[in-house]
Amino acid sequence: MRDVPPVSGPKVWRSLAEYQDSEAFGAMLKAEFPSIFELWLVDRRQLLSVMGASLALAGLSGCKPVRSDDVVPFVNRPEGFLEGRADHYATAVLLDGFAQPVIATTSAGRPIKLDGNPEHPAFRGGSTPFMQAAILDLYDPDRSQAPLAGGHSASWAEFDAQMTRWRNAWAASKGAGLRILIGPTTSPTLLRQIGELRAALPQARVHLCDPLSGYAGEAPPPLRPKLEAARLAVSLDDDWLGPGPSQAIHARAWGDRHGDVPAEERLHLFAAETTPTLTGAKADSRLAIPPSRLGSLAAAIGAEVGVAGARVTLTETELAWARQVSKALLMNRGRSLLTVGAHAPPELQTLAVEVNRKLGNIGQTCAIAAPLGFVPQAGESFLDLARDIAARHVSALFVLGANPVYAAPGDLGFARLYASVPLRVHAGLHVDETAAISNWHLPLPHALEDWSDARSPDGLATIIQPVVRPMYDSRSLHEIVAGFTSDQPPTAQTLVRQSWARQLADDSAWTAALKIGVVQSPAPQSLSRPGGLSLQKGLPLPRDDEIEIVFRPDPTIRDGSFANNGWLQELPKPLFKTTWDNVVALSPALARELDISSGDMLRVESGGRAVEGPAWVLPGQPPRVVTLFLGYGRTRAGRIGTDIGYDAYQLRSAAAPWTATGTVRPTGTTAMLATTQEHHMLDAEGAGVVRTVNPDHPSARLESDADQDSFYPRWPEGKPAWGMVIDLDRCIGCNACAVACQAENNVPVVGKDQVHKGREMAWLRVDRYYAGEPEDPETYFQPVPCMHCEQAPCEMGCPVHATVHSPEGLNLMVYNRCIGTRTCSSYCPYKVRRFNWFDYTTDEPESLAAQRNPDVTVRGRGVMEKCSYCIQRIEAATVKADIEERAVRDGEVVTACQQACPAKAISFGNLADKASEVAGRRSSPRNYALLAELGTRPRTTYLARVALEDDV
Amino acid sequence: MPQIFSRTADTWLRAVALGALVVTASFFLTAFALARSQYWDVVARTPLQPVPFSHKHHAGQLGIDCRYCHSTVETSANAGFPATHVCMTCHSQLWTNADMLAPVRQSLAEDRSIDWARVARVPDYVYFRHDIHIAKGIACVECHGRIDRMPLTYRAKAFEMKFCLDCHRDPAPHLRPRSAVYDFDWKPPANHAVLGRELMSLYHIKSPTELTSCGTCHR
Repeated sequence: MRDVPPVSGPKVWRSLAEYQDSEAFGAMLKAEFPSIFELWLVDRRQLLSVMGASLALAGLSGCKPVRSDDVVPFVNRPEGFLEGRADHYATAVLLDGFAQPVIATTSAGRPIKLDGNPEHPAFRGGSTPFMQAAILDLYDPDRSQAPLAGGHSASWAEFDAQMTRWRNAWAASKGAGLRILIGPTTSPTLLRQIGELRAALPQARVHLCDPLSGYAGEAPPPLRPKLEAARLAVSLDDDWLGPGPSQAIHARAWGDRHGDVPAEERLHLFAAETTPTLTGAKADSRLAIPPSRLGSLAAAIGAEVGVAGARVTLTETELAWARQVSKALLMNRGRSLLTVGAHAPPELQTLAVEVNRKLGNIGQTCAIAAPLGFVPQAGESFLDLARDIAARHVSALFVLGANPVYAAPGDLGFARLYASVPLRVHAGLHVDETAAISNWHLPLPHALEDWSDARSPDGLATIIQPVVRPMYDSRSLHEIVAGFTSDQPPTAQTLVRQSWARQLADDSAWTAALKIGVVQSPAPQSLSRPGGLSLQKGLPLPRDDEIEIVFRPDPTIRDGSFANNGWLQELPKPLFKTTWDNVVALSPALARELDISSGDMLRVESGGRAVEGPAWVLPGQPPRVVTLFLGYGRTRAGRIGTDIGYDAYQLRSAAAPWTATGTVRPTGTTAMLATTQEHHMLDAEGAGVVRTVNPDHPSARLESDADQDSFYPRWPEGKPAWGMVIDLDRCIGCNACAVACQAENNVPVVGKDQVHKGREMAWLRVDRYYAGEPEDPETYFQPVPCMHCEQAPCEMGCPVHATVHSPEGLNLMVYNRCIGTRTCSSYCPYKVRRFNWFDYTTDEPESLAAQRNPDVTVRGRGVMEKCSYCIQRIEAATVKADIEERAVRDGEVVTACQQACPAKAISFGNLADKASEVAGRRSSPRNYALLAELGTRPRTTYLARVALEDDV
Repeated sequence: MPQIFSRTADTWLRAVALGALVVTASFFLTAFALARSQYWDVVARTPLQPVPFSHKHHAGQLGIDCRYCHSTVETSANAGFPATHVCMTCHSQLWTNADMLAPVRQSLAEDRSIDWARVARVPDYVYFRHDIHIAKGIACVECHGRIDRMPLTYRAKAFEMKFCLDCHRDPAPHLRPRSAVYDFDWKPPANHAVLGRELMSLYHIKSPTELTSCGTCHR
């Protein structure tokens, strides 16, 4: 064995156990197979017998004769249809009612993949995990398939007969007693229909159920950021890089202003936050602050920049941070931006507007925008509905596309109220908690099966066109709403077309809008000034024994609407790396005080109600703040999402849905948390894995990176030589790449127990590293796909040559050769290989098989797999170029992760072509290879994160 | 001390040992033969089709071009199967009442596909593309045999890895000008070896190293 040179670099850590360097952690890391380390602890003899049995069975699975199957051609081939070729359609999926413009890829009529629409001026092709995972919801086997009357299946004809009777009654009474409760929406067609409905039935009321905007009819934040013009952004608990409908837009702007850009064009970011977020992780300077003092912090900044302030109560650190931020804001007048989170009180929203106005930022880096979506009128909030039901003013309640029985705050007791309404009709994708206690349940189509329209957060509209015929007996929401006043409602397509009759009058304009997926309509008007300014006095300070509680949507399940999505359940949460659960996040200091560690159950009490959830000790959390995550604890989500996690809505109050005060104490029990943060650890003592550069040291190169002599001959650089560069300065850790990889490459979902054993199958993982003290750490993200080493250790290990090198430098995995010894995995220093411990796909519900990519093998049991650089896409581009007798052009091969990345952090291409984007990035002084000291010569390299100079 | 083994024990032992050897050997021989057999390769078998379609009649005697029915063979990985409408372009005029064609008329009337049994098929882990092979001058007959002489369609070649590799290792003898790809009666010229080499460079055919890289067919 030759000596490995010592590595120098900043010390980083992944978990508190690693930080504290516990003995058990060391033993786990040193185990030959960390994934079966726990089994080893149980009983070696038993393990061997189990392994022997599975080996014997594995031999039999190869004995199948070649099966002849049927060919089912068309009766009449649709014009332009080509078997074996994917077609693309521009449409949109919805997140919080906002359009997420997508290009849907269909194969043989089945949608198989969604990607951001590159024609959309704001999204510019960017994706988010929710956008990528929306396709799985289409094929969700637990979707509602037919109308239900009193829990028994019924037909639409029966419903229509009932509806006629009700309609006649409402026509006579002008809709008295009729209430409609809708989820968040920006659909111009639905808004028009609601307007018409109000005119026809003036006594009826339309209420809004949006658990992520509040229950009392709160106005949405008035500021719409335009980050591309800003040089400095200050976020006061505004997670604009984090999950949400605007994430892809902001991440694109972020990516444009990071990486190899001149110093004066860099976007600088200050973030104060009540719980760690992606925005805080990427901030140049971050401050953890309890929610009760956020108002004071904002007021202090306001006072410094000349907006009338209030009395402030801040610590020295907070005050210093406020001064630093104010100084930077004043130095960047007209090029700076101060935003506050949507969950901050309206006074803070107003203060942010005034600060930006004072700095001359309005019209430059932000605009004051009219709300895009449905805003309830006076007396039409969710709270008003609850009051009216209690006062027996409601005789019929139609819940359309919302789930209030689950998502109502615990202090309302809404399930009981709802059950007291004489007529309850629910329309939704699932037979959920609300449907279960409704008289009628009506199935809605998925956005990919339906005609509709919606606005993206930048204000532009997208016509939502169906890309597949409805799979079940569903009816469009627009047709249901039209049914309130008409016995012969037009189709959804007609209704949408009517809404755009003026702007898209002729067929060519309509077709063009469908084709590019954006309506070139004027953006909704900007307002000059929102409501009057009244600075708040700050929230009441908590008593000493009380803890401040912060509520946040779950990073991957959101408000609970994605609970039955296996990809999102198994996607590690960006910061905690937990899966299949929501946690109670608390600071290391509070954990020490309570003498608990991650996984111990905590009982959180507030307002006489309590929830119990597993603790997660979160570095960077403000000391006496716990964060609860919404979206879990569903009782009727489906086979994936039911009965996992705790229901944080129970602790929420309608008046203050985002914060509370209460107590927290351990229950004495411990829960099993499936977290991936210590899986696939690189055995490098945590040095030099993530690197930073700064203006004084612009090179990421370390002493130890020097080329090693190798026993094996150098791999010849073929043409093309595929390679990938990942820019850690642009990467925001959003996980869009990981979900895109799962969708593209038929990666199975394995479930909580298997994840706990380290058997997750994700080909691309995003490692999260911390550096510094647990109280206030630096956070780093590092996406890790296969490195496609030129001197690949895995290839030396395989006894059957199932993993070999291609002339183009790809490290190939030949599934039909693999016999599952897993030697390659133990030889892989980057831990990117995944083993199929079981047959994960055969017994899957049939509908899920329709999502699979036909160009990628569905792997069987006992086979190793890993990132292939999307070889199916390389192959398709190579064949196309070959037929056209030319070389593959730069940018013609786009990997799934690269396509999804909203920050353009990933570039891929031919390293032999010196003019290619990837070769250009690789020549950056920030370029470094992971574990370069091993001499594996990886084709995937990284660009170091840029650490900032102190003064901005 | 009494005898443990009887006098015949030795003979029995030899017989059993020999028997075991014969059984084991014949098991492996049978398995080997089976794996090499046409039965296993599904060669020369004519599956029951809903309509006894004759390539000999259509492609051979009538001379209908392959691409008339397999219309995507040059543009897609799949050669494409004719829609019922394609059959009916002729059969709405010819043999309009033939019993044999009842399933075709029924398909059109009921708007229901004809379920053909697939004859040529590679395993799921092999990704074969028609378009690139046509573009590189590989004729239909190379894999599908003299389909113009088949009254009922059967698989002409064993689609084993060896069959693919023989050509990928040395494509030159299998190449012909693109103009002759659909020509069943094309005869290689006397200087086929020279022509093959010329076509290799003319059509930019990759080196055997690249063509036999696992990722060419498996992914």
